[in-house]
Amino acid sequence: MDTISEFIEKFNSAVDFQEQVDVTADTELASLPEWDSLAALGVIVMFDMEYQKTITGNHLKNCSTINDLYQLTQ
Amino acid sequence: MALAQLNNVRIAGLTTCAPGRVVSNLDCAPEKLQERERLVRNIGIQTRRVCEEGIVFSDLALVAAEKLIAGLNWQKSDIEALIVVTQSPDYPIPATAIILQDKLGLSHATIAFDINLGCSGYAYGLFALGSMLSAHGIKRGIMLVGDKSSNPLSLDNGLLSLFGDAATATALEFDTTAAPMYFNMGSDGSGHRAIIIEAGGQRVPIQPHHLERLPGADGIARKGTDVILDGPSILNFSIREVPPSITALVESSPFKLEDIDYFVLHQANRMINETIRKKLGLAVEKVPMSLQDFGNTSSASIPVTITSQLKQALESGPKRLLLSGFGVGLSWASCIVEMDKAFLPELIEL
Repeated sequence: MDTISEFIEKFNSAVDFQEQVDVTADTELASLPEWDSLAALGVIVMFDMEYQKTITGNHLKNCSTINDLYQLTQ
Repeated sequence: MALAQLNNVRIAGLTTCAPGRVVSNLDCAPEKLQERERLVRNIGIQTRRVCEEGIVFSDLALVAAEKLIAGLNWQKSDIEALIVVTQSPDYPIPATAIILQDKLGLSHATIAFDINLGCSGYAYGLFALGSMLSAHGIKRGIMLVGDKSSNPLSLDNGLLSLFGDAATATALEFDTTAAPMYFNMGSDGSGHRAIIIEAGGQRVPIQPHHLERLPGADGIARKGTDVILDGPSILNFSIREVPPSITALVESSPFKLEDIDYFVLHQANRMINETIRKKLGLAVEKVPMSLQDFGNTSSASIPVTITSQLKQALESGPKRLLLSGFGVGLSWASCIVEMDKAFLPELIEL
């Protein structure tokens, strides 16, 4: 099972933001300027390949923070 | 899962016609450039071919068909079937295939109809036309496949960079020495809203407001006649359904994955195809891409990839290809075919 910081590393790679942003467990997704439909696709692929979990657009809509996303890996 | 085998059908030739006009996804206002670079890097589409004003899919298809017929030296009177796979017909009715029967000068004894499929259309079309030949009926048939999906006036920044236009013509002939074709096809209508144009059919007849760009629930301004894509649903469907359907297809055939020379996947999104490739453990060299140059050309994306990426390989000897199209519907179809000495010219531009 990944720690939150391992998860954040994978998240950063998956979303491929052009501008680097410091992301912590409490970061609000809505506050990330490049948290868009493209980033969402990257995260869906990440969950499938790294955690063998399917997450949907609805799952993502219901997540407010990075920690909410991390909880979906459990 | 519909598994099927077709005998006695040979792919005699394949031509691709695309617009000469090349549009770059990085050709945009400076403030949009960074966003576009990220899109290009992740989706994989750098340039697309876009029709000139007034040119439609069937114009490209006509050129592809004429080149194919001439290259094969087929008599027009010998062509018994003309199937058109498109979601960009000339008119809602009648079928574009019948209009093209006339424009091509084919006989009145031609079977001609349209198949309304997109991403999965090439393999489904091969199956439909191939079935007519295989049963010792028709000897020669042509399948025209593709779409004009580009939407240059779209305000949907994501959508604007996805679609390209192309038409392809494939000639099938009855041949008792042909290698069997193996198919695996599926449908899931519960996902019909994943890729949809809502207005213009019977459910949502066109109203004046459908022609205005109005924001939808996702905040993107579009017309009722513009396509809506649910990215997450399409991605999840593709990575969930396609790898097992390819595995099942191969298992139903006499072959193993290693016996397939090339895997030609529908070209919509590099992330989707890379994920499918990794799940199946396929080498990069065996999975050619045309997405970077042509964008998503709908049902034409498989034959566009064959023309643009595999011409040399196919000239060097017979090749076993696994073709897999998946998307709008939701619909998917994969097949294993062999191509040997097929007429395969360079890309034709209009």
